[in-house]
Amino acid sequence: MTTLIRLLAVALTGVFLATLVPPAAEAAGDRRGGGGGGGAARAGGGGGAKAKPQANNTNRDARSNNVRSTSVSNVNNNVNVNKNVNVNVDADRRGCCGWDNDYHPVATAAAVTATVAVTSAVIGSIVNAPPPGCVPVSYGGIIYQQCGATWYAPQGPQFIIVTPPY
Amino acid sequence: MNWNRHIARLGAPLLAALVAAPGWAQQPATAAPAQAAVNPVAPEAIQALKTMGAYLQTLQRFSVTTQVTGERVLADGQKLQHSAKATMDVARPNRLRARITTARAERELTYNGKVATLYTPAQKYYSSVELDDTVTGLVRRLHQRYGIEVPLADLFQWGTADAPLEGFESAMNAGQDFVGDDLCDHYAFRQGSLDWQVWIKAGSQPLPRRLVITSRADDARPQSVSVIEWNLKPAFKDAIFTLVPSPGAQRVELVPLKTR
Repeated sequence: MTTLIRLLAVALTGVFLATLVPPAAEAAGDRRGGGGGGGAARAGGGGGAKAKPQANNTNRDARSNNVRSTSVSNVNNNVNVNKNVNVNVDADRRGCCGWDNDYHPVATAAAVTATVAVTSAVIGSIVNAPPPGCVPVSYGGIIYQQCGATWYAPQGPQFIIVTPPY
Repeated sequence: MNWNRHIARLGAPLLAALVAAPGWAQQPATAAPAQAAVNPVAPEAIQALKTMGAYLQTLQRFSVTTQVTGERVLADGQKLQHSAKATMDVARPNRLRARITTARAERELTYNGKVATLYTPAQKYYSSVELDDTVTGLVRRLHQRYGIEVPLADLFQWGTADAPLEGFESAMNAGQDFVGDDLCDHYAFRQGSLDWQVWIKAGSQPLPRRLVITSRADDARPQSVSVIEWNLKPAFKDAIFTLVPSPGAQRVELVPLKTR
């Protein structure tokens, strides 16, 4: 029984990943049509001064979010971590992966499955704004929006759904 | 230099050889180079790190710009490359501002010796934490307690106890090369699951100009490349080290690193 549910969940994930048009991303897709997708809604506060183009990741293939490891960009922190037996290696990997890297590796397919099953939120989806009632959380150098089990990281003026950092 | 220890270690086998071998006159000549070739940690490479670290510690005010290229390894081992940029203004002993730009977001870290603040301008969120330390201590604490990595953290650690010069499995001189217009000495090291290389400007200003780190923890061996541009006569004012959040900015509690 449980196995069946898990299988179903996995299959669903597959469908979601394959279609690459998660529901939440559609709103962002509209804006994409404008080309360049300058940050109207949220960044509007700054307005007009210098229109710096924002990276648009709405066409990103879901597979590109399934990261098993990343490079590191400093020596001593990592060497010292390795030497210190008491430091939780897992925490280090999940906590942060270097200043340049605001992606959190997706530990296993199960993690993706769980997130999808619980919230229907697909890792990598872009939204213009998180749903109401989210709470900002500053963790590992990123200020997220946490909405229950779903975590949003800033993506220019928009937000991207990411693997929960903890 | 610990030549005494070196000689003492060589002494015993040498003595044995001298006693045992009839052709003793030739023994020292052949034994010494063989010993040197076997040592995987070249003392001159370690010395270069030491010299660079000592020089970095003498710099009181400087600005650096760095461009990093990193890699993510996907589930099947395919690698994706990404890049990011940071500019940092530093006034020793305890002031720093880092502006970090990635494809995702811009972030700003400021530290005036009392308060460290992380700010995300686009969302107008910031987190502050009171902290009384040097820039080296700041880098260590942010990493250990909050999982926040300061760009080019190594810059603040070389030349201090946070960058020990022991524990190398291998260290070598890899010759000279140019980084931009600067002639550099190239060194390569192996420590734990990391292989790393540094290009240090030749001459009287031994500045690190490029840093390459390769992880051997994953068989895809993800690698990062950081190029570092230096300004040793920066024009910044000390006011930049205290963040003034824009009107309407919201403060967010900084959550310490969680272990599972």
